[in-house]
Amino acid sequence: MKKIFNIIKTAIIYILLILYAIFAAYPLAWMAFNSLKNNEEIFSTNPFGFPKVLRFGNYVKAWLEYDVVRYFTNSIIVAAFVIFFTIFFAMMFAYAISRMDFRGSKFIKNYVSLGMFIPVQIVLIPLVILVRDLHAGDTLISLILPYVAFELPFIITIFYGYLRSIPFEMEESAAIDGASVYTTFFKIIVPLMKPVIVTCGLFVLLFSWNEFIIALVVIGKQSLNTLPIGLVKFQGQFSTDWGAMAASLMISSLPTLILYVIFSKEIEKAVSYGAGIKG
Amino acid sequence: MKNIFKNKIAIFVFIFPTLLIYTVVVFYPIVQTLVKSLYNWDGINLGKFVGLKHYIKLFTRDSTFRVSIINGIIYPTITVLYQIGLGTVIALVLSSKKIKGSRIFRSIYFIPSTLSTVIVCKLWLAMLASDQSNVGLINRIFGLLGINYSQNWLSSGLSAIIVMAFLTAWQGIGNTILLIYTAIKSIPQAYYEAAMLDGATSFKAHIHITIPLLSETYKLLLILIISGGLRAFDHMYIMTGGGPGNATSTLTYMMYKSAYMNGNFGYACAIAVTLVLECLLCTLIINRFVARERINF
Repeated sequence: MKKIFNIIKTAIIYILLILYAIFAAYPLAWMAFNSLKNNEEIFSTNPFGFPKVLRFGNYVKAWLEYDVVRYFTNSIIVAAFVIFFTIFFAMMFAYAISRMDFRGSKFIKNYVSLGMFIPVQIVLIPLVILVRDLHAGDTLISLILPYVAFELPFIITIFYGYLRSIPFEMEESAAIDGASVYTTFFKIIVPLMKPVIVTCGLFVLLFSWNEFIIALVVIGKQSLNTLPIGLVKFQGQFSTDWGAMAASLMISSLPTLILYVIFSKEIEKAVSYGAGIKG
Repeated sequence: MKNIFKNKIAIFVFIFPTLLIYTVVVFYPIVQTLVKSLYNWDGINLGKFVGLKHYIKLFTRDSTFRVSIINGIIYPTITVLYQIGLGTVIALVLSSKKIKGSRIFRSIYFIPSTLSTVIVCKLWLAMLASDQSNVGLINRIFGLLGINYSQNWLSSGLSAIIVMAFLTAWQGIGNTILLIYTAIKSIPQAYYEAAMLDGATSFKAHIHITIPLLSETYKLLLILIISGGLRAFDHMYIMTGGGPGNATSTLTYMMYKSAYMNGNFGYACAIAVTLVLECLLCTLIINRFVARERINF
C-alpha cells in the first residue's frame, strides 16, 4: 500500500515538473514555430504546433528588409568592445590592488567597488547630457563607455578574489629572473586567469546584449540602435507580418541561447557569482 | 621582487583607465544628479536654484508619484512570491535524490533567463493579444478549453501590473532556482541524517533545517528582486507605455517621462534621487531583519 502511494506521489511530482518545464519552454518553441510560418498558418490553420512547411523566407525577410542585420551588427560591435575593455581594464586594476604596494590602494578599491550598488537610474540623466556635450551621441562609444563603467566594479571584484587565491611564488621567481611587471602580468597572470575570464566574459556579454534603458536614452541615431531598441522602436512597419517578426525575435535570442547550450555551466556560475557579489 | 610591485609608473598604468572611466561615467554624474535635483533645469541651461521644491511637489502634489509608489509595492510583492515561493519548492524537489533528471529540468527552467526583457515582452505581447486580428495564444487556449475568460490583459492598470510582474518572475525564476538549489546542495548531509534518526519526515526536515539555513540566500534574493522591482522600467515602456493613463507608471518611468517628454530635467533628477533612496532603504531593512548572523558549516 505504502509503495503504491509512493509511486503515485513520485508520478505527480514528475508531472508537475514537466508541466512547469512546458510553461517555461513552450513560449520560446511557439516563437520558433511562428518564425517558420505564414500568417494564415499562425492565425487559423495551425496556431500551436510545428509548422507544416518550413518557411525560412521569414528569416531572410527579417534580416534584409527589417534592418535586423544592422541592429545585430551594432550589438555585436558593442558587445565585443565592452567585453574587451572591461576584462582588460579590470584585470589590470585588480592586479594593481591585489599585488602592488601603494598608498591609498584600499581607498581606491572601495571607491570602485561602491559602483556595484549604484543603480543606473541615478546617473542616466547627466550621462545623456555628457554624451551630448562630448558629441558622442553619433557613435557607439556613447554606449560602450557606460557599459564598461558599470560592469567594471563587479568584474574587478571577481578578479580580485581570484588573484588573492593565486600564490605569489611564480611571480617572485619571474621577478628574480629579471622579468618586468608587465611581462609578469601578461605571461604569468593572464594565462592563469583564463577560466575566470571566460565566465566573466559571458556575464558581460549577457549584460551588453540585453541592456535596455541606457541604450534607449543615449543613442539618438536610428542606424546605431542595438537589437533590443531596434526590436521595440522600429518594428511598427511589420507588425502585421507575424512570421517575420517572430524570425527577428529568434535571430536576436539565438546568440545567447546557443552560448547557453555550449557554456551552460559557466553561465550558471557567472549568474550565481553575480548574485553572490551584488547582494 | 619588491621593486616590481612598487613601480610607480606601472601602478599608474594599471589603475588609471578604470579610475578615469569610473569617475567620469559613474561618480561625476551622481554628484550632478544630486546637485541638479535642486535646480530648474531644461537639459540645456541650468535655471534657478529652487531648493527642495521638486521633492515637495513630488511628495505632495504629483498623483503619478503615488501610483508609482503603489506599483513599486505590488510589482515586487508578486515577483517575490512567485520567484522565491515557487522557486523554493522547485529547488527542494530537484535537490531530492529520488528525482532523476534534475539537471535537465534546471536547464529548461533557466532558458527564459537567457532571453532579453525585450524578447520576453514582445513574445508575451503576442501571446496575450486580445483583438481578433492578433495571435493571442492565451485567449485562444481559454477558448479551446471552453472557459470564458478571454480578456484584454493590459487594459486595466492592476491586471497589467500583475501580468508584468508575472512575466518578470517567469523570466527570473531560472536564476532563483539555480541559487537556491546551489545553496541547498551546500548544506551538509549530516544535518538531515540526524533529523531522520529522530523520525522527521523530509517535509518537516525542510521546514526546520533547510529553509532556516537558506536565510542568507533569501536575503540576497530579496534584495535583488525587490530593488529590481522598484527600478522596473523595460516592461512598462515596451508593453503599456505606463498606461492606461498613468496606471502602470513606476519611478523610473516617471523619470524617463519628465526628462525626455516634458523636458523637466531637474524634476527627473529629484525622482532619480528618491528612487535610489527608496532602494537603499529597502536594502537596509532587509539587511536588518533577514539573516543577521552569518551561517558557517
